[in-house]
Amino acid sequence: MARNSFVDPITVSVIQHRLLAIVEEMGEAMLRTSYSQILNSSRDFSTGICDLDGRLIAQAEHVPIHVGALPWAARSVRDFFKGDIHPGDVFLLNDPYNGGNHLPDLTAFVPVFDGAKPVYWSINRAHQSDIGGATHGAYNAGATEIWQEGIRITPLRLYEKGALRRDVMEMIATNVRHPRDFRGDLAAMIGSARVGERRLLALAGEFGWETTYAAIEAVLDSAERQTRAVIAQWKDGVYKGQGILDDDGHGYKDIAIRATVTKRGSELTIDLSDSHEQVIGFVNSSYPNMRSAVAVALAYLIDPHTPKNDGTFRPVEVIAKEGTVVWARPGAPVTLCTNHCAQEIIEAIITALAPACPDRAMAGWGRRFRIAIQGKDPRTNRVFIWHMFQARPGGGASSAGDGWPGIGEWQAAGGIKFGSLEVTEVRFPLFFRRHEFRPDSGGEGRFRGGPGCELEFAVEIAEPALGNTAGDGVRHGACGILGGSDGLPHRYTLHSEGRPPREIKTKEVGIPIRSGDVFMVESGGGGGWGDPKLRSAEAHARDVELGFVSAPSARKAGG
Amino acid sequence: MYRIGIDVGGTFTDLVAVDPTGRATLAKTASTPRDPSEGVLDGLARLADTLRLPLSQLLAETERIVHGTTVATNALLEQKGAKVGLLTTEGHRDVLEMREGLKDDRYNLRVPPPEPLVPRQRRLGVRERLRADGRVETPLDEASLRNAIAALKRAEVEAVAVCYLHAYRDPRHERATAEMLARELPGAYVSLSSDVFPQIKEFERVSTLVVNAYVGPALSRYLHRLAGRLAEAGYRGPVLIIQSHGGVAPVAEAARLAAGGCLSGPAGGVAGSRYAAKLLGTGNLIPFDMGGTSTDICLIVEGEASLAVDRKVGGHRVALNSLDIVSLGAGGGSIGRVDAGGILHVGPESAGADPGPACYRKGGTAPTVTDANLVLGYLDARHFLGGRSLLDTAAAEAALDRLAATLGVTRISAAEGVHRVVNTNMAEGIRVVSVRRGVDPRRFALLSFGGAAGLHVTDVARQLDLGRVIVPRVAAVLSAWGMLATDLRFEVARTHIGDAGRLDGAATKRLFEELEADAVARLRASFDGPLRVLRSVDMRYGEQIFEINVALDDVDWSAADPLPQIVERFHRRHEELYTYAMRDQEAVLVNARAVAVGVLPDLPQEPTLEDRGRIAPVGERRIYLGDWQSVPVYDFDRVSPGHAIAGPAIVESAMTTVLLRPHDKARITPHGWLDIAVPVRAVD
Repeated sequence: MARNSFVDPITVSVIQHRLLAIVEEMGEAMLRTSYSQILNSSRDFSTGICDLDGRLIAQAEHVPIHVGALPWAARSVRDFFKGDIHPGDVFLLNDPYNGGNHLPDLTAFVPVFDGAKPVYWSINRAHQSDIGGATHGAYNAGATEIWQEGIRITPLRLYEKGALRRDVMEMIATNVRHPRDFRGDLAAMIGSARVGERRLLALAGEFGWETTYAAIEAVLDSAERQTRAVIAQWKDGVYKGQGILDDDGHGYKDIAIRATVTKRGSELTIDLSDSHEQVIGFVNSSYPNMRSAVAVALAYLIDPHTPKNDGTFRPVEVIAKEGTVVWARPGAPVTLCTNHCAQEIIEAIITALAPACPDRAMAGWGRRFRIAIQGKDPRTNRVFIWHMFQARPGGGASSAGDGWPGIGEWQAAGGIKFGSLEVTEVRFPLFFRRHEFRPDSGGEGRFRGGPGCELEFAVEIAEPALGNTAGDGVRHGACGILGGSDGLPHRYTLHSEGRPPREIKTKEVGIPIRSGDVFMVESGGGGGWGDPKLRSAEAHARDVELGFVSAPSARKAGG
Repeated sequence: MYRIGIDVGGTFTDLVAVDPTGRATLAKTASTPRDPSEGVLDGLARLADTLRLPLSQLLAETERIVHGTTVATNALLEQKGAKVGLLTTEGHRDVLEMREGLKDDRYNLRVPPPEPLVPRQRRLGVRERLRADGRVETPLDEASLRNAIAALKRAEVEAVAVCYLHAYRDPRHERATAEMLARELPGAYVSLSSDVFPQIKEFERVSTLVVNAYVGPALSRYLHRLAGRLAEAGYRGPVLIIQSHGGVAPVAEAARLAAGGCLSGPAGGVAGSRYAAKLLGTGNLIPFDMGGTSTDICLIVEGEASLAVDRKVGGHRVALNSLDIVSLGAGGGSIGRVDAGGILHVGPESAGADPGPACYRKGGTAPTVTDANLVLGYLDARHFLGGRSLLDTAAAEAALDRLAATLGVTRISAAEGVHRVVNTNMAEGIRVVSVRRGVDPRRFALLSFGGAAGLHVTDVARQLDLGRVIVPRVAAVLSAWGMLATDLRFEVARTHIGDAGRLDGAATKRLFEELEADAVARLRASFDGPLRVLRSVDMRYGEQIFEINVALDDVDWSAADPLPQIVERFHRRHEELYTYAMRDQEAVLVNARAVAVGVLPDLPQEPTLEDRGRIAPVGERRIYLGDWQSVPVYDFDRVSPGHAIAGPAIVESAMTTVLLRPHDKARITPHGWLDIAVPVRAVD
């Protein structure tokens, strides 16, 4: 836009720093006031600002997989309410077929006005601890259609000109399992979005709207220039990569996500249309989540501190086909998609581009494999639900060095905290015999993948309990790149007296657990980077000394 | 009798002696990092000179020495601590390196994992296990312990940390381990988790403990050497070390709980701020301490500094109660640079003190905040720090010219840009820190500390809509003064976990009595003055992970069951902090705490200045405030109480330069400080 030239670079710089501070303050307000543990401890939410047309202006660095998805949500709300947006309105959305990514991620929108004209959205997206549906906590491996996954909220007006629509609120709260927490979290989300509104208005008050608009254009252009400067250094060419999901839990196996990436000058075209057709289970991706996964892949390859906004992602064109696993047709279940197949989309793009930018590409980080156990605590006779966050998989290696041990998944990248075992033993009838790094699990390479973990625990119940799982990666480990080998995949087994050990699958509902049963959880390692023959003798000796590798060349190539 | 405060910083050691009338005498000497006690003794000799007393007489007439030291901090930051071995429960040796699954810098995936303070080959499992209720599941296996100790002996460790699961419930296995260590590894510095930090949550406990063992030997050696030298020189009184929690502790306790000294340095400034709050009669202050590479801020609410348990020092978690000081990556040496997209950034990269800003002529060529301030005319090239060092304006201009060329603007715009961006970063940093703690910064006054702060603080205040800025005359004196006014503090905490509705009230009362007796006994070992005891609990709702600290000051302990009162205080505190309470949810008690405070007699107040009549400027300077203008320059050392200075103006001393912007109005306090009213929008 021509009007950029009216704003001096100093003002642009000041406004850019201010915008990042605004989305960060929105996050702090959320942290302080939200109810659920998943929000105030695990920080599974994000805050951002879009313009009315859904262009991303600024987003805080909370959850990577939320990064590119807000524009689709904002556009969906704009399209539905066009011409009918008023000061004091608050809108909600979660439906993945109307701009959302998956049902647990509820998004709240507060419009910001220049006089009578809505110009920006102040947005808070937060993962709800429950969103209704067939199973507690939203992850339903048995789901074959989205209606089994929870309540679908299409663009909806919750506040009209400042007044809460009580009937609407009541209807939604009635459809989730913890209505009080839900209301508390929603109030925190709206409060956080209102902080963004107030601060944006103050910004415009200080600089004037015209300067603010022009400076924001310049901010977006600036991020675009930064991204282009990085991409331009990569080798031109057409590259192919893929990521393979184990299965969908409903009969599909080795589900491939394929990327053909054309790099020319400072532009990328990412074509995912050769990916596997859509499947039955919840590993399908919604369109916005697919776009988000593409944005995350790019964000990991460019300079980490480049702001994430509309400009950042302009050099990328995305081609995909509806009806494939990366863009499911309306009706298919998608709840796992922010983990899987998001990670396989990231994997396909990064493995494709690894030869073009070897120093920037990192090997694969471990996949998610969660267990939830529901039973009765014999010490208190109360029902408990425990979600396992321990035994994180390893991080991928990169040109900077070895992968991080036990740090978690590619899409969260060390953003999820696991709870203390001591506290867990106090609160749940569980006894942890062992929680240590898993030797030989990191992929080999010039730089080694981070090891996963071993977790051994007994379930000390009097009456049988039930387990559910959600995840992937017991057959396909985190990918090695540029000659590095894959990390070992996960292996979870259940040991029950008088029965042979039972291998746990990644998508199971209702695993029977008996008193004294022992889970042996071995999480996967990260992928290796570069040719293992180039690993220095000292580094190898150190691996053995640390016990990350059990003995010199104990592990055969390929695990 | 004198009281002496000694603050050892990275470059200088500041000393202040206060006589019975409240008159302060200052001395400054170069720090001696290899053995800081040398610098301390040098400084004391200088102090004695100034007072025209022999050193032995000054020390004989000194009743108290309070000392802030960075020995522990530096050992940690410079990775020069002890070689530590760690003994853990078998099967759980990686807690330290798992870091609860967290990594900072979310989008930076090309960064190697940090090195833990104890590498994996020196973290050894021992066969033993307690259950969560304290029962022994697996007795301590002597053979396994013997093997582990033998391995640590071969590794030639200087210190051993022992951290077993659930040891906060029962220290018996850790104590038995310590006994064997005393026999097999005599001379090693041994830390037990049940002694250093007997609280639930194994990562916080082991991380704090390992830091303790890592810095303990060096701190202990230093403190004992210092105490020895002072005794040789004729001092007979107590040496009190300022702790991260803001209180002071005697040498033996400071050496034992070494991890509690990791933030001893900045604690002096906070003590000074508390003292300032008292002096000014204003409770809500944000100390703004701008140094070369960073700006430290904290919140003084109603005269008290808040504490936090989530501090990291050099990337290492220290879960002991510490002053809630936050470091922003912006200071006088922060470097301005333009990114590939054309956006100007200032910091966190810093030229520090060496090579320093371009204008220092010590080899630095990068454009820093100080260079920008010089180009803008805010600093006087010939009278920087009272003329002790000359600044090179041409070098600053050349550095700014390079930045200006990249941005495509004039030199003066680039300088103004650096100044504005660093102010924005600091203002936003303060805002986030305040919001995170549930506080509205507009209701606070900024307290300007550090040589560089005075040029930025009035603009930072404007950006925060904060209407009052206070600039003390000599910040170093304020810190030392604050340290001398700090009480002794011994804290004892123990995990006492359970749903408050199911705990035994009588047992809870007994626990508090035990903790209190323990804290008082520790205090009494070195102090026989008046004391008070504070009790508190850490609590949370069932589904939460983080606890909040709840003061139990006005609980009626004669009640048969004090738990209902405790729970009610928790709900109220939760509401204050987070805007809501959940009275129908179970409230979980996690830790019980008792603090014994040894109350030191009040210091005589710093004497006030006489009215020296109307304040006249000592000169004029051309400065840039949107355009070039001539403003009066005042001598900070010659201001007169009760009078006022209107902006735009410069107020300058050998220690600091203060910029009053248009419409600012500085009133001079009775102690010769600036109390500046900044025009802002009304607080809604």
